[in-house]
Amino acid sequence: MSVPTDHLLALAAALFALGVLGFLVRKNVIIVLCSIELMLNAANLSFLAASRHWSQSTLAGQGDPSAGPIFAIFVILVAAAEAAVGLALVIALYRLKQSVALDGIAELRG
Amino acid sequence: MSTQEFSAAFEALTAPAARMALAPLLALGVGVLVFLLCDVVAALRAARAPVFVGALILAAAAEVRILLGERAPGLVFDGTFAADRATALWGLMFVGATLLAWLASLGYYRENRPFKPEHDALMLTTPIGMMLMIGARDLVVFFVGLELLSIPLYALCAFRRMRQESVEAGVKYFLLGSFSSALFLYGAALLYAAAGTLSLVELAERDLSAPLALAGLALVAASLFFKVAVFPFQLWAPDVYQGSPTPVTALMATGTKAAAFGFLLVQLTPILPATGRATVAVLALVTMLLGNLGALVQTDLKRMLAYSSVAHAGTLLLLVAAGMGAPDEHGALGAALYYLGGYLFTAMGAFGLLGLLEADGARFTRLESLRGLARSRPVVSALLALFMLSLGGIPATAGFLGKWFVFAVLVDADMTTVAVLAALLSTIALGYYLRVIVVLYMQPPPEELEPPRTNRWSASLVGALCGAFVLAMGLFPALFLGLLGS
Repeated sequence: MSVPTDHLLALAAALFALGVLGFLVRKNVIIVLCSIELMLNAANLSFLAASRHWSQSTLAGQGDPSAGPIFAIFVILVAAAEAAVGLALVIALYRLKQSVALDGIAELRG
Repeated sequence: MSTQEFSAAFEALTAPAARMALAPLLALGVGVLVFLLCDVVAALRAARAPVFVGALILAAAAEVRILLGERAPGLVFDGTFAADRATALWGLMFVGATLLAWLASLGYYRENRPFKPEHDALMLTTPIGMMLMIGARDLVVFFVGLELLSIPLYALCAFRRMRQESVEAGVKYFLLGSFSSALFLYGAALLYAAAGTLSLVELAERDLSAPLALAGLALVAASLFFKVAVFPFQLWAPDVYQGSPTPVTALMATGTKAAAFGFLLVQLTPILPATGRATVAVLALVTMLLGNLGALVQTDLKRMLAYSSVAHAGTLLLLVAAGMGAPDEHGALGAALYYLGGYLFTAMGAFGLLGLLEADGARFTRLESLRGLARSRPVVSALLALFMLSLGGIPATAGFLGKWFVFAVLVDADMTTVAVLAALLSTIALGYYLRVIVVLYMQPPPEELEPPRTNRWSASLVGALCGAFVLAMGLFPALFLGLLGS
């Protein structure tokens, strides 16, 4: 018995929506970073679910099942690089302001 | 994978066409490594600047070889990367933007001078990302290029890390940049779930009218709209452009914008459904309106130029609207190249001169502190005035012809109403560009302020080079149109 692809995609969509929500409403930079990771992992889950979908024998030739996992690996690699730079920026911000709250960033209107 | 398959894949990697397509990227990549090596070995420190310039020259030479070669490499690496005359032209633009931004940054930093090599290494990485973005025929390659461009820029924005505005600009750009990357990734995942491929060549052939595929396309387009700062994702641009070090702002305003628009126009526009044309046109017009209205009320020249760059992004988005559903029927690509080329030199020159005037901090980016500058710095004022005229699209400058070609494409694509509205919106822009000239030439110098005395040969060279190109592109367009026609 296996989980249908639709359910996996729905779970990923819910995770992505949670990530977007967290990004928009939370004020702590660390939590905002976590929300972005959640969004990235929702994308990874979708890639893997879709890859499993295209690897079914009835769909042979219609989609490329190997592309999904490869993209997911690239996402993990790049997310690590992004997190490294992001945390360095957070440390620089903390040194200047003794706080990592986004409210403390003047003019953060975007 | 069997041994034969493996050796075949290896041979494809080293085929002449693949080597030719990869040469510019390799030149820059090896350049970054050698540059960092020179920084570590004390005896080689003096070689850093020649290595930086040499890597860019080698990359430019490799692009010229593709541009003038008998046969362009075309699709290489299993159809994931393409190098042809168009991408070579874009690549030359990226190399030029990096070189000019680097020249403008020489001597710009004061308290951060010890870390200048890191700054340069990051700056040399960005054109690799831009070239990958423009050559990508696969969403994975595009994503790697996008991040190779964005991650160094996050660090560069916050490079003056003792200054609050710089770090805030970095954090803001980072958060919104990674948010837009996440949007792109989820959009790519949805496209993959709907169509089963990540190759843009194959995606263009599939039927993408399913709701899942449309949602994916919308997310990918939204993430690119973020990168180029068009409505409704334009709010970050003024803060980030103002807070970042001026040479970095120049690179972001020209290089990043060119790379993202290049990908939008070359790759994404043919896939986007023609039914979305009206929506994109409206977004473009709203972007122009908001950018121009925002710029009108600014008192800081750097922030004003940020709003003006939003308005210019709106103009370029009109080309995306014109090209939707009809892959380059109306010459949108050529117009975009000319417009972006002109904007590259204009904005780079304006930001470069602003960087020259910034004695310490943001003092001389305020409009009131520039009053009567024409008396103490006639050459700088004349060049600034030229760039303002070009940004506003006055004839005999690059900006005029760029706008002319955009409107010609719009009329050709039966979007005359949009073209007329866009032309009207562009006239608002003249209000604030001309105000700068009035301030420079027709107002008395402030008594309480010393006029800026800062002088750097590098920034002056950037201003002079950009001024020459702006005039040449405006007066002798045939020189550059010949390149586009090939």
